[in-house]
Amino acid sequence: MIEANSAPEQAPGTIFSHAASNNPTQHSSAPVLSARALRRAYGSTLALDGVDLEILTGESVAIMGPSGSGKSTLLHTLAGIEKPDSGSVLLASSAGQQDITTLGESARSKLRREAFGFVFQSGLLIPELTAVENVAMALMINGLPRAAALPQANQWLSALGLAGMEERRIGQLSGGQAQRVAIARAQVTGAKVIFADEPTGALDSATGTEVLNVLMESTVGRGNTLVMVTHDADVAARCDRIISLRDGKITSETRPGSPNTIAPGAQH
Amino acid sequence: MRTLSLAWLLGKPTAARRAPMLLTAGAYGLVSALVLTTIAGALSFNRIQNELSGMYLMLAGLACVLLIVPLAVLGSAAARLSARSQDLRLSTVRLLGGTPGLVLGITVVESALVAFTGAMAGIALYAGMAPLVGMIQFQGSAIGAAIWLNPGIIALVVLGVVLIAALSSGFGMRKIIVSPLGVRNRSQTPKPRWIRALIVVGLIAGISQAFSMISVFKDLAVMLAVLLGGFALGVGALNLVGPWAVGLIGKAKLKKAETPEKLLAARMILENPAQAWRQVSGIAMTCFVAVVGGSGAALMNMAGTESSPGSPDALLSADVMTGVIITIVVSFISVACSTAITQAATTLDRAELYAGLNMLGVQRSTMEKARVGSVMGPVIGVGLGSIIISGVLVLPLAGMAMIFAPLSVAIILGTLVAGVLAVRGAVALTSTSQTLKLVRID
Ligand SMILES: Nc1ncnc2c1ncn2[C@@H]1O[C@H](COP(=O)(O)OP(=O)(O)OP(=O)(O)O)[C@@H](O)[C@H]1O
Ligand SMILES: [Mg+2]
Repeated sequence: MIEANSAPEQAPGTIFSHAASNNPTQHSSAPVLSARALRRAYGSTLALDGVDLEILTGESVAIMGPSGSGKSTLLHTLAGIEKPDSGSVLLASSAGQQDITTLGESARSKLRREAFGFVFQSGLLIPELTAVENVAMALMINGLPRAAALPQANQWLSALGLAGMEERRIGQLSGGQAQRVAIARAQVTGAKVIFADEPTGALDSATGTEVLNVLMESTVGRGNTLVMVTHDADVAARCDRIISLRDGKITSETRPGSPNTIAPGAQH
Repeated sequence: MRTLSLAWLLGKPTAARRAPMLLTAGAYGLVSALVLTTIAGALSFNRIQNELSGMYLMLAGLACVLLIVPLAVLGSAAARLSARSQDLRLSTVRLLGGTPGLVLGITVVESALVAFTGAMAGIALYAGMAPLVGMIQFQGSAIGAAIWLNPGIIALVVLGVVLIAALSSGFGMRKIIVSPLGVRNRSQTPKPRWIRALIVVGLIAGISQAFSMISVFKDLAVMLAVLLGGFALGVGALNLVGPWAVGLIGKAKLKKAETPEKLLAARMILENPAQAWRQVSGIAMTCFVAVVGGSGAALMNMAGTESSPGSPDALLSADVMTGVIITIVVSFISVACSTAITQAATTLDRAELYAGLNMLGVQRSTMEKARVGSVMGPVIGVGLGSIIISGVLVLPLAGMAMIFAPLSVAIILGTLVAGVLAVRGAVALTSTSQTLKLVRID
């Protein structure tokens, strides 16, 4: 679990060294996540109504749709936060494929800590801790000693433009700065897939753009995968693919680079 | 009138607000019951008609002064919880165009109502406990019917509880009105300063001077006043160093912290050392009384049994022991309850954060351990510190008690340990999952 932290590509000095986000990346690679026939009902509401979706390694996918269309439910199901009523979510790892919907709560919790990173609208930072401690916490929870966790966390914060603010508490940061701390925390563990639910939803548009730049560069810019729920069409347009949901179904899939719309389920 | 009708409209306990309201009312109930019982116990010494009656009244007064702090902390914890559970609703009132005055009015009226309800329950609890408490013996006879207070005093206590609730919620709310974000963000941490230690040294010197002159005062009333005044000053002095000492405990823990839960616990203490101190200040004083009073009583007991068993003096020593134990019990009940309330309030405040951290894969147990550490660290640190310091202060007395009356010492230590366990129980009872379940009844 910790081995990912010491992988050379994680050294934050090199975070943006291959931040070639302008080059359209070729996603010939295998899917890192594949969801099949996801169904989830809350009472009589169908939050997910037969969703099939593949997320390829290194791509950025935006999930859009009206309020209540099931975006968050889909994100939570892909990330192993919630279990669907039926269907499967296969996660590719070095050990082969694994259906995460069959795992128990503690195994999924471990997966979320170690393999995934999260950036939510409300940051979810711990107010008593300093910025660097919030980031280091993610490593310490995975078993890294504090003395090793703090320098890594510091490097991440500087790489995301927060040098000099490491010792501030969350209440002493602006909304955009706090969101960068959350982005650092999501990735310091070496997570390969980052899930974001309206990460810029609480920010003004200028700050939102800055935070989005940081998020894109530090994730897909480094070859990792980003799945992001957003209401903002401009934000979505920065992604490789846009999935639109309505009433728990995928209604369309577009690639902002090209004008053609692909029918759902017809990818690759 | 407008305030009243709005307060009624918005104050109706919805399912989500029922839990905090019940907790608050319960706390006021407990405070009222404990205050009533303590006053009744103290006044019951009036029936003692021998040369020791003055002594008894003085000791009872001392116990009351001692219990004021933990009970006041419990009361203000209740007031804060009630204010916090009103936050959200009140900001709606403000958005709808309610003036700050209106918001303040609603808060005060509601807190007063909740406190009144609690106080009524407290009277019932007091009445329920009275037969049991009446069985406690002082000067060889049970308190018995002397435990029943006259209605005038009961009414005064109820009035006091309601007034304090209304006032403290008013003050608490004023801060929120001034800076609506202040509560959530808490960007500044109050920093207790070392200068306080100097003030305290001065105070202690003054107090010991006053005590050394105590034999000069022939008049019992003057002596009593000096003793109580000196004690109150001591309490004040403690409250000056306390936050600083708790801050030291927090810093030491922060330095050593290797696991996430220990790091978080240390930061939770350092977040507001003054508040952490307030929670445990009762314990500091209780431990002091336990050591000094307990050693004294243990030794007196030994001397007493040797001379004439059954004489007022022999009984006095047993009674001091009883009094010390009662003080420990009441004080720890208050601390346990205010801990429960503060913990519940914090968790309710943080429901979203805790649920979110769980999504990130932070296990509930990590947050739980941090919470437990942030409470028990100061409890144990302050308790042990106070026992050691008071032991050193009365070293000959405490040493002799340990050698000659080990059983009494063991009983007192056992009571202290039980008290600490009660606080631990309160923390466990208000686990995040339990507390969040309370709110999710709707
Ligand atoms: N825990 C829950 N209990 C009951 N219903 C739920 C729950 N979570 C989601 N739902 C319902 O499922 C549907 C999809 O919810 P979801 O949160 O996924 O929507 P969303 O697209 O993220 O909306 P928004 O843009 O408002 O965040 C909605 O109708 C919602 O009311
Ligand atoms: Mg959503």
